Amino acid sequence: MRTSLVRLVTGLAVVAIALVAALSLTGGVAAAQPAERAPGAAPAPTAQPGTAPRGTAPRIQIVDGAAKPAAAPAAGTPAPRIEDPRARDVINSNGPAMAVLFWIFALGMIGGAIFVITRRNMIAAVMGMVGTFFAVAGLYMMLYASFLAVIQMLVYAGAIMVLFVFVIMILNRPEDEPWGLVGLPGKILAGIALAYLTFRLGSLLASVKAPADALLAPPPVVVPPGAPTDAPTLYDWGSTAGVGWNLFNEYLFPFEAVSILLLVAVVGAIAIARPLKADDDDAAEGDAAAGEAS
Amino acid sequence: MASKLFLIPLLPLLGALINLTVGRKLSRGFVHAVAVASVSASLGVVLWTLWELWGVYKATGYVGGELRQVVYTWIEVGNFKVELAFRMDTLSAVMCFVVTFIGTLIHIYSTGYMADEKRYAAYFGYLNLFMGSMLILVLGSNLPVMFIGWEGVGVCSFLLIGFYFEREDYANAGRKAFVVNRIGDFAFLLGMFLLYWATKDLGAGNSLDFATLSSDAAKAAYGKSFWGGERLAAAAGILLFIGACGKSAQIPLYVWLPDAMAGPTPVSALIHAATMVTAGVYMVARMSVLFSMSTTALIVVSTIGLLTALTAAFYAFAQTDLKKVLAYSTVSQLGFMFVAVGTGNYAFGIFHVVTHAFFKAGLFLGAGSVMHAMSGSGDIMKMGGLRKRLPITHATFLIYCLAIAGFPGLAGFFSKDEILAGAYAAHLDGWPAWYGKFLWAGLTVAALGTAFYMWRLYFLVFAGECRADEETQHHIHESPFAMTFPLVVLAIGTVLVGWLGMPHLWHAHGWQKVFHGVSYWLDPSVADAPTVAGAEHLTKTKIIWLMITATVVGLAGIFMAWRIYGKGPSAGIANLVEHDPNARALYQASKNKLWVDELYEKIILGPFRWLARGLFQLVDRFLIDTVLVNGSAMAVSVFGRVTRWIQNGQVQRYMVGIILGAALIFLLTGRAAHPGISYRFVPEGVELQAYPGSGLAGEGATLRWDLRGDGAWDLTPEAEARLAAERAKGNQAPKIDPRTDYLDDPLLVRPTGEVGPFVRLEITDKVSGKAKVVTTHVVFPAAKPGAAAPSAAKAGGK
Amino acid sequence: MNSVVTHIGYGHFLVLSAILFAIGVVGVLIRRNALIVMMSIELMLNAANIAIITFARMHGDVGGHSFALVVIAVAAAEVAVGLAILVAVFRGRRHIDVDRMTTLKY
Repeated sequence: MRTSLVRLVTGLAVVAIALVAALSLTGGVAAAQPAERAPGAAPAPTAQPGTAPRGTAPRIQIVDGAAKPAAAPAAGTPAPRIEDPRARDVINSNGPAMAVLFWIFALGMIGGAIFVITRRNMIAAVMGMVGTFFAVAGLYMMLYASFLAVIQMLVYAGAIMVLFVFVIMILNRPEDEPWGLVGLPGKILAGIALAYLTFRLGSLLASVKAPADALLAPPPVVVPPGAPTDAPTLYDWGSTAGVGWNLFNEYLFPFEAVSILLLVAVVGAIAIARPLKADDDDAAEGDAAAGEAS
Repeated sequence: MASKLFLIPLLPLLGALINLTVGRKLSRGFVHAVAVASVSASLGVVLWTLWELWGVYKATGYVGGELRQVVYTWIEVGNFKVELAFRMDTLSAVMCFVVTFIGTLIHIYSTGYMADEKRYAAYFGYLNLFMGSMLILVLGSNLPVMFIGWEGVGVCSFLLIGFYFEREDYANAGRKAFVVNRIGDFAFLLGMFLLYWATKDLGAGNSLDFATLSSDAAKAAYGKSFWGGERLAAAAGILLFIGACGKSAQIPLYVWLPDAMAGPTPVSALIHAATMVTAGVYMVARMSVLFSMSTTALIVVSTIGLLTALTAAFYAFAQTDLKKVLAYSTVSQLGFMFVAVGTGNYAFGIFHVVTHAFFKAGLFLGAGSVMHAMSGSGDIMKMGGLRKRLPITHATFLIYCLAIAGFPGLAGFFSKDEILAGAYAAHLDGWPAWYGKFLWAGLTVAALGTAFYMWRLYFLVFAGECRADEETQHHIHESPFAMTFPLVVLAIGTVLVGWLGMPHLWHAHGWQKVFHGVSYWLDPSVADAPTVAGAEHLTKTKIIWLMITATVVGLAGIFMAWRIYGKGPSAGIANLVEHDPNARALYQASKNKLWVDELYEKIILGPFRWLARGLFQLVDRFLIDTVLVNGSAMAVSVFGRVTRWIQNGQVQRYMVGIILGAALIFLLTGRAAHPGISYRFVPEGVELQAYPGSGLAGEGATLRWDLRGDGAWDLTPEAEARLAAERAKGNQAPKIDPRTDYLDDPLLVRPTGEVGPFVRLEITDKVSGKAKVVTTHVVFPAAKPGAAAPSAAKAGGK
Repeated sequence: MNSVVTHIGYGHFLVLSAILFAIGVVGVLIRRNALIVMMSIELMLNAANIAIITFARMHGDVGGHSFALVVIAVAAAEVAVGLAILVAVFRGRRHIDVDRMTTLKY
């Protein structure tokens, strides 16, 4: 118990350091940009040849740079520079820092996941889970999904894991035998199948090449003329504003459907977990047991 | 306008619909109002259409005419086409009139007779259903439609015989009628199939239509040799006649009719005397063209008819139940009718149907009235002396009895006399010369018997002193008006209707269409008898002698009955039966109907039961119960035991299944992803089909062709043109756009010359971006020099 | 150094998600404790999310983020209901071993 806690703390520390490094590095890459797109007098983006508006945001237009991969700023014109998106594509860059970050997150994630499924101590498993979630959040960051990275930490590490901990505390029973050995031949067979599956899937996914236009992502952002100076010039593709815009325009109905689903889940969870009626024998027993367990 | 023909059967069917569905909720008055109104409306439509038919008949110069209505095409399969069509010609018009007229009277009678019945609406519903079915039977324009009615009346007969199903023997009587009829119906169906087989190419797509079946082409088909030197007409005719035997209670299928008296008396009058049982006669007359083509079939029909007439008359001698006597009388009279149609006198067979419908319906209704008075009892030994107590019933009954005995001037006299004369004169092609005389002699004996047993019945019921007990005597009363009215109407009909078929003794100036109406009216619808050329015609003298003989025979029968039963049950007969063993045997034979039911029980039902028991043990017990039922249950349980291993409720087991399934999908799609090219030769040249492979790799792959196998990827024709233009302009290295310029159609058709022996195809996987090249060797057919030679030359040149 | 190690591409993220998914499957298969099984399911959902985000990045389509958000919401709902069910099951059975939960009735 003690050793596992030590290991857990160590693991968490590693993950936390890696996360900080990742955030600082990606932030650093992003921070390198503002100078190039300093708010200034910007010509109408429609004047740019080959400009095709993709979003419908009134203030922010995402310009597809496909037709204009390297638009050098004309000398003397106050036009904002629309940089080659490849320059911003830190993931595909050959920078060793990025590779280091990736491997740290990857190992942290896999290690945490293995921790989850091997620990006999439930709390240790939960902590491994939290580590995994942090690492995943880091990976999200590397993929420019900054909003999702935060949500991942808030919802998963913050809310769901706390729920798990609560339930673990309610159902805290010593485990006799953590491994489910019923139907072992089938499970071994499934293990072989899983190995094959992972191999096939992995080899397929490893060979995935980006489509021809994928290298242009994330697209550059042009702040239209007349925008207030406090406009989010650092508006980014995976930012809250970006995801929000998409979510509330294109995916409004799924969003509302999910809200209904959550409501139903809340009601359902309460209905299921509610103590049975007092006139029921099992209920009294169950309540007593629950009280005893907690 | 023939478009109202369908109303004739439809109206009673609507009545049946109302009475059978909501009738129970309605008042009795409403129920019988619906029933009687629907039937009398149908009678009205019949009279109306008769008037139209009369117009058509007159327009043809009194030699034909029919009305026809196609409601819709019922079955159309290949060249088998059956329309739901109705046809009213002079023959079906007569039947329609009889059915609706007598049907209406009996509906009226039923309102009185069945007044205390609990299932009043059901009774009238069945009765209306019967009317509808019977009218479909007589109006059907082809055999299948007729068969609908044929089966419909069978069902109604079953329902009405078993109307008092609370008594088991009554319910059994219904079943017996149904089963016996099924035997006949089966033969009827076989006959129908045979006729379709014979005439399937005729009639321009109106299979089995009566017009088709009566055409000259059909006659030729009937005349073909079929089996053992007999014509097809013999086989088809005998099969159809077996059907008629079932419906019209002829030997050997008559056994159901006496039992059918279990039904309410008006039902016996309508179905089992006046209409349904004559359907067989009608059918034979309807198919007269067929029957006239085979004297074998006719000899079968007439012989069976004669035998039935004689045996049924014999049975009637010793019966003591009022309705049983009438039932055997009906069977016997049906025998007369079959002799008539069997000797080719179709018109007079139908004439006897009509006259018999009047007096026999009257007799049954009279019997119903008597039984109504006698508190429901039908035992004639306990009756007697009712002449004064039931004056109207007695008067009408007397007329009917005179008519059936052949008293001159009444309906039965004319029709029976025509049948006898027709049999006497019959000398059909292929018959022995004496056979007609023999039939006549037999029928004369049957007529004597008829007169005797009918008058025995009359004397036992109405003459002498009443032998009923005090209680019953006290209740004797004349029936209500609803019951006596039909009796009177039918009696008037019995007096009048015979005059339509007077013998051709003299020329009735200007009135011949009335007094010889039967032959004038019916002849267009029936065929002529296949009489031997040069057969003698009856002279007037002979006709008169035959009439006198018939009259004398009838009167003799009445006289004998009076002598023996004039004062009630005869002590002399009882004494004779008591002491003379021969007489006793005879009496018992008559009383027990020659033990035919027992014989059938022994030779048919016994083995059948044995067979059924065997089948029950073998098929039901062993094959179905053990092998199929328990066996399949066992198979299911074994299967269940196997699948329980998989479906054991354990989540992880399911997970194993999911993983194995997913792996299997990957395995299979991975294996199936064999990219390749297929080719085939089409008139335009070679058709090449690219298969980029299935699964993830094949979806949306990019293709490049190298059709000549020269190592350079082929360009689209547009790109080729553009490049040529640019080269002409001096640009020696024009740019090729890899995304658009290469040929990338999955399906190509190229002239043979443009395709080399080795075709290469590059498939670029959309997901992985990997390119794969496949090559196919196109083998050109050597036998096509025009196509193969240039391509070979081209391939060699490359 | 090997370019696979130094040059990080989309394939790396996708293979990572496949591995995470496989670990989740193994967790579901081998553990008896229903809580761990549920956590393993969460792992699998996360693996799917990584793949979604990677493809979104690849195609420059921010719609993938909305999709991943929906997955997170569904996962949250699933956990809430699943844990409630576990509590109810525990109340009746006094255990939460998945290989002993073979009937729907408690």
